[in-house]
Amino acid sequence: MVSKKFVIENEQGLHMRPAGVLAKAVTKFESDVTIVFEDKKINAKSLLNIIGACIKCGSEIELVCEGADEEAALAHATELIESGLGE
Amino acid sequence: MYKGIGASAGIGIGKVVVIKEQELDYKKVTIEDTEAEKKRLSDAIEVFIEKTTALVETMKVTAGEQESEILEGHILMIQDPAITEQIEAKIDGEKINAEAAVEEACDFFAQIFAMAEDELTQQRASDLGDIKTRLIKILLGIEEVDISAVPAGTILVAEDLTPSMTAGIKPENVEGVLTEIGGKTSHSAIICRSMEIPAVLSIENITSIVNDGDEVVLDGATGDAYVKPEASVVEEYKAKKEKYLEEKAALAKFVGQPSQTADGHVVELVANIGGPEEAAGVLERDGEGVGLFRTEFLFMESNDVPSEESQFEAYKKVAETLEGKPVIIRTLDIGGDKALPYLGLPTEENPFLGFRAVRFCLKRPDIYRPQLRALLRASAFGKIRIMVPLVTCVDELRAVKAIIEELKAELDAEGIVYDKDIQVGVMMETAAASLIADILAKEADFFSIGTNDLTGYTMAADRGNPDVAYLYSAYNPAVLRSIKNIIGAANKEGIMAGMCGEAASDPLMIPLLLAFGLNEFSVSATAILQARKTMSLWTLDECKALADEAMQLTTEAEVKALLEERARS
Repeated sequence: MVSKKFVIENEQGLHMRPAGVLAKAVTKFESDVTIVFEDKKINAKSLLNIIGACIKCGSEIELVCEGADEEAALAHATELIESGLGE
Repeated sequence: MYKGIGASAGIGIGKVVVIKEQELDYKKVTIEDTEAEKKRLSDAIEVFIEKTTALVETMKVTAGEQESEILEGHILMIQDPAITEQIEAKIDGEKINAEAAVEEACDFFAQIFAMAEDELTQQRASDLGDIKTRLIKILLGIEEVDISAVPAGTILVAEDLTPSMTAGIKPENVEGVLTEIGGKTSHSAIICRSMEIPAVLSIENITSIVNDGDEVVLDGATGDAYVKPEASVVEEYKAKKEKYLEEKAALAKFVGQPSQTADGHVVELVANIGGPEEAAGVLERDGEGVGLFRTEFLFMESNDVPSEESQFEAYKKVAETLEGKPVIIRTLDIGGDKALPYLGLPTEENPFLGFRAVRFCLKRPDIYRPQLRALLRASAFGKIRIMVPLVTCVDELRAVKAIIEELKAELDAEGIVYDKDIQVGVMMETAAASLIADILAKEADFFSIGTNDLTGYTMAADRGNPDVAYLYSAYNPAVLRSIKNIIGAANKEGIMAGMCGEAASDPLMIPLLLAFGLNEFSVSATAILQARKTMSLWTLDECKALADEAMQLTTEAEVKALLEERARS
């Protein structure tokens, strides 16, 4: 299991577009990818669950990857989140 | 013959395609073969994705990236395991049909979203509603009408053309439009005029009267429409169409000419636009600038208040496209008939006399300041002028100007450039503004008369209400006096007197407006050349003589009759 913490800097938080970019990207990996936010565990492969979590700008999240390709999954997600998830 | 409101000129001859929302008629039933039901579901989802992907591509071109992103999200949502697993579990566990399972699962997520505190998340509930309806339609085998796929020579018939419907229109395939609701200034009319599609609106029950494939001829100027006409009528309209197209070609010789009277009195002839993508069309039609850029469309296209940055990009694009020609941008004119779901404004008993336009903006600096800041920043890239709608007292103008001064100081401190001499003007559209035009003229940099609302507020008549629509006319002595007073006040203070309402392009009104001293005429882009031609047919003295006569008359009917009798073409 590998993990990393991030602060969401998208102006409107993880709404439709950035959440979609993230969910779409991590779905390609075999590993389970989970967002830990305010004690909640959210499946990062589910756009609906991410949106439902209402993760706002400035929130801290932890991304947890677990599985055969966990390193690659985390590295890819890190790159995306740090570059603003398409925004 | 059917009579409606002629909302976009031109003759349309073609075959009907009715755009009708069908009822979704299904029941929750118990099924035996769950595997077959899941196959039905996965097939439907596949079709959904295919159709939506195609729609996304069309929308990128016709409506822009932003609008298409929402639909792209729909594709991701329907592929989301969180929802597909829930639907399948319902089919497996409860042995219910796919339609019912889709409904329950979509409603489940929609409810969660609707209860969220965050507005942006709440709006996603409506996306789930859309997905549900479209997916169930596919399951039931109900064809969705794809406007972009209609064949050449189509007459579109619908209850109303919604903005999302118009996004799919390919103008080359649509001969004409007939609707049950709407008027000359409704969204559908504006879009049809900008696409040069003949349109007759407000024909009662037209969607029930016609059937797909019926032949229809319509005249978008007179509002006449014939369903299954006799051969002689079709011939007559074919001739009319030819004549119309010839006249249109004749106007082409006014391209590149100054906008002036026969004796060389020059005015400014500019265009009204509703979005940055329409700016290029203004230059194509020889407009000398933009007299009204309605910013509401930016706010209506998105699902949340557009950011300062995205507004800045839109305003900058228009300013740059117009290459230094003046661009008057009206700040947010929301409320009344134009509601924004994401603002969560309470329903008012009397919205036209209520919380709208500048009244709303001054109470919501969180929305207004970013817009004004975006306008100031964009002013570095062209000649932007700021126009404030629905002003009724000078305090409002002062308050807006004070915010602009604060923002200028903010930008100075940040080292961001802008036009330090940016003009701030008033949209003159209330009886109150007209009566204090002399006061406002001392503090405004320009006036632009919005004759649509000015007529409505002056006559206290709703143009959309057929019982009182007869009162709604700018030829009423009350409205003419008001217009004359506003222009006179602007002339006296040496500020520009403009007009951005429908009257500015009315060939009957143009000589009167020239006589009153109007400096700027802002019309829809397609009306520019016709207006320039009308101006060229009169000397200023002739206009003044006509105006003197018209202002002596006591009724709307007399004024109209005089102007019609003297009309030149």
